[in-house]
Amino acid sequence: MSLSSLTKPWAATSYGFLDASAKRELRRKMLKAIAVPGCQMPYASREVPMARGWGTGGLQVTLTLVNPTSVVKVIDQGADDGVNAASIRRFISRVSGAGETWDTLAASIVQSRHRVPEEVMREDQILVLQVPNPEPLRGVEPNISIARQMHADADYGKLWLTLYEQIVRKGRIMQGAGYPSMVNGRHVMTPSPIPRWDVPKLNMAKHLTFLSAGREKRLFAVPPFTRVEPLVFSDRPYQVEHHADLTCRRSGVSGYFMNELPIDGGGSAFEVSDSNLGIKAIQQAEGAAVEIGKTWYRNGEFSA
Amino acid sequence: MLTVAPPDAVELRANATFEALMWALSRPGDIRDMPEAGFSAVVETLVDLECTVFSDDPDLRAQIAATGALQAEDISQADHVFLSSLEGAEARLVALRCGSALYPDDGATLVAAVRHGVGQRVRLSGPGVDGVLEVTLGIAPGFWAMRAMLCAYPEGFDMLLVDGRSVIGIPRSTLVEVL
Repeated sequence: MSLSSLTKPWAATSYGFLDASAKRELRRKMLKAIAVPGCQMPYASREVPMARGWGTGGLQVTLTLVNPTSVVKVIDQGADDGVNAASIRRFISRVSGAGETWDTLAASIVQSRHRVPEEVMREDQILVLQVPNPEPLRGVEPNISIARQMHADADYGKLWLTLYEQIVRKGRIMQGAGYPSMVNGRHVMTPSPIPRWDVPKLNMAKHLTFLSAGREKRLFAVPPFTRVEPLVFSDRPYQVEHHADLTCRRSGVSGYFMNELPIDGGGSAFEVSDSNLGIKAIQQAEGAAVEIGKTWYRNGEFSA
Repeated sequence: MLTVAPPDAVELRANATFEALMWALSRPGDIRDMPEAGFSAVVETLVDLECTVFSDDPDLRAQIAATGALQAEDISQADHVFLSSLEGAEARLVALRCGSALYPDDGATLVAAVRHGVGQRVRLSGPGVDGVLEVTLGIAPGFWAMRAMLCAYPEGFDMLLVDGRSVIGIPRSTLVEVL
């Protein structure tokens, strides 16, 4: 062994921005995350040229997975053209040579902030969710060491208590985004702040999901065909948002998750949250040959 | 404008190898193809100076040494274990690290050369398997009994079974029934 065999030729940057040792660490943790679905795995969370809290966790997972043949879609609350989403997508493409797309069907990696696309993801696709707070127990147990012990003991009684108190006080479960969900019957995870509408899409899905929190330095995964069950009481069924009857004012599609826009004089208008689905619907109405894939919700009913 | 050089051969190989390993563990029992046969690319993809590695192959030990990883003399210390055969290895593998309920990620990764499609038929179920899946692997029933004893979920070890370029993953979450 010589010094030259231990070094590499100088390069201005590493491919995919992260250096090789950062990628190896992420790979090891991603494999463990798959092996124990829903269990939060600590990782180093390197610096990327973006402030923590803006999707650095998802970005690091994507940068580890990406190669020149990848096609990347990045969404922020369902929209491809938000400044955060557009900047992340452009950055990934610049440092890796990967293709960019807005179309869920064309993507090999979908990095997302707080939404799962409406079109059903295939078995060869990877969903990377950006997670601000990976700890479902934080609201009931601020001490992370005790929270870890509670995960080890599968001690989730306090989460059920929180849901029960909401029913007692308000008459229904108030938890909106980030609904605590039991993964593989063992670990409760927060599915990142996706709406209740999106949680059933992770249950027994065909695709692989990574959830990564850069600021909190933890990642977890939901492999394909894994049970993801929202915590509910047997006499209080899980309810998604009542968006089934809403119609998008721009594209005319209905039965999908909508953004609510206040209008002058009171009341609200609605626009479909998965913006590229709306764009494709408009293009189709104008006679363009675009394909809208099978969607998880059909006529407002979950039916995957 | 930021310009980035295209990936070199090592980067491409590690990326493709990881993709194979990732999908192999995500879908237990499915056969995935790695770009290169054998353990060398797996070491390149996963192992560096943060790891403690056990290997029974002198050539591989030389490659592992070059990564800066610590070489374990004892399987119980290693987070990555590379074995050229699982035959009669049960007695040694009982010492495999399985992590704890507090830190399931401390469980070891076992990479072993195992023939696919010959030997004992087993039925897999659990996360990543749509219903049940039957595969034939060159692993004796005694090994699966030992694994069932060690893998008290979420504790346990994860297996990557390599046959040439093909790899089958069996994570700790998979239930294995010997048929």
